[in-house]
Amino acid sequence: MQKIPLIIAILLLAGCAATTTIDEYRSSDRQLDIEVNETVALLGRRDAGHYETDAEFVECVGDNLSSTQLKVLPEAELMDALYPWLEPRTAPKGLLRMRQLMQEGPLIKSAVKDYGIRYFVWLDGSTETAGQSGSMSCAAGPGGAGCFGFATWDKTSIYEAIVWDLDAFSEVARVRVDSEGTSYLIGAVAPIPLLTPVKNDACKGIGQQLHNLFNPK
Amino acid sequence: MMRPLLISRVLTLTVCILLLQGCGTTNVQSSNSFPDLLIKPRPLRAAVVLTPEFSSYKAVPNKATTLEIGAAQSSILTQVFSALIDNVTFVESVDTLEQPLDIIIRPSVVAVQLAVPSGNYLNVYEVWIKYNLAISDSDDQLLANWFMPVYGKTADSFMLQKKNAISAATDIALRDIGAKLAMDFYRIPALQGYLNDRQREQ
Repeated sequence: MQKIPLIIAILLLAGCAATTTIDEYRSSDRQLDIEVNETVALLGRRDAGHYETDAEFVECVGDNLSSTQLKVLPEAELMDALYPWLEPRTAPKGLLRMRQLMQEGPLIKSAVKDYGIRYFVWLDGSTETAGQSGSMSCAAGPGGAGCFGFATWDKTSIYEAIVWDLDAFSEVARVRVDSEGTSYLIGAVAPIPLLTPVKNDACKGIGQQLHNLFNPK
Repeated sequence: MMRPLLISRVLTLTVCILLLQGCGTTNVQSSNSFPDLLIKPRPLRAAVVLTPEFSSYKAVPNKATTLEIGAAQSSILTQVFSALIDNVTFVESVDTLEQPLDIIIRPSVVAVQLAVPSGNYLNVYEVWIKYNLAISDSDDQLLANWFMPVYGKTADSFMLQKKNAISAATDIALRDIGAKLAMDFYRIPALQGYLNDRQREQ
């Protein structure tokens, strides 16, 4: 009977889900045609000093985007294929630089052609933690250990995907996703985490939007 | 009645393991495998001196960490200079050089720094390596000492084992050598001037 309030609290808190907002900008309403032999390449922005788009997020978007009809070149493979031109120090941040790079370096142009890279997707953003409150104390002794207390924190994910068409050297779409939610940690001997999948929701949101953008032929 | 006791004992054991894991020296070995570089080599005769000290270099950025980067840095420099220069030889000492050369490059490590979450209060591991490329002309007269800092960091070290995190940051720093040299090697003012003069003479 004593556990009932705790179970009710856990169930109530577990119901707190992330709120995800998606903004989409496209230069036209039509879907982007992509042939069977063409690929979508994903790359995370890593030029900012205070944050960088983490590889795990880029991988997650890639997994959500790829399907039997749509080929996606994973980030690590793309960076190796065009080494050293997509490293944080050298990656082209604008279309003009990308065009220049492909014109100046025949080897780069040839590698892009060999991998069939038609669309290049830049992923930029981060997940920040804020609003931490509450406290949790853990102690261990010869007889055992335990944690007591309650902690809560807010997470906000803001990510943007910019899609370049490497055939036309133009920006064809931009998708932005904001996701936020609150997570809880309840210490009742064992710590019980109730985590809101903020980053995962942002990944699914952006992955789904990008998936709807392409029209595999 | 048994369950809370069991949970608390498991927790005690986990905490003890985690605490003990943080003790001791971390010895990190870097990857020797790097992708091929997409660079068109320039017509130049060069030698790169990779001394045994450089190829077996072990950095000790703090008393608890050793980075074995010698083999990896020799490997990436061999790949990078093979991509940048069309006629390049790699030697352990200049004494073994016989053929006429345009330039001789002697890389060395100046400093290695490591930042860990407990020190930088960020959830990342960072590695800086500062190299010096001593570039000499055909008569082995020094043209320039060119300092080349490279940098690598883990995106987020949460749940990453310390050794793996430092290894990942070191590998990124070593990859940065390729990016730095691809961008800037032929822009080193003293080298650029010297090569232009030689071209004019020919």
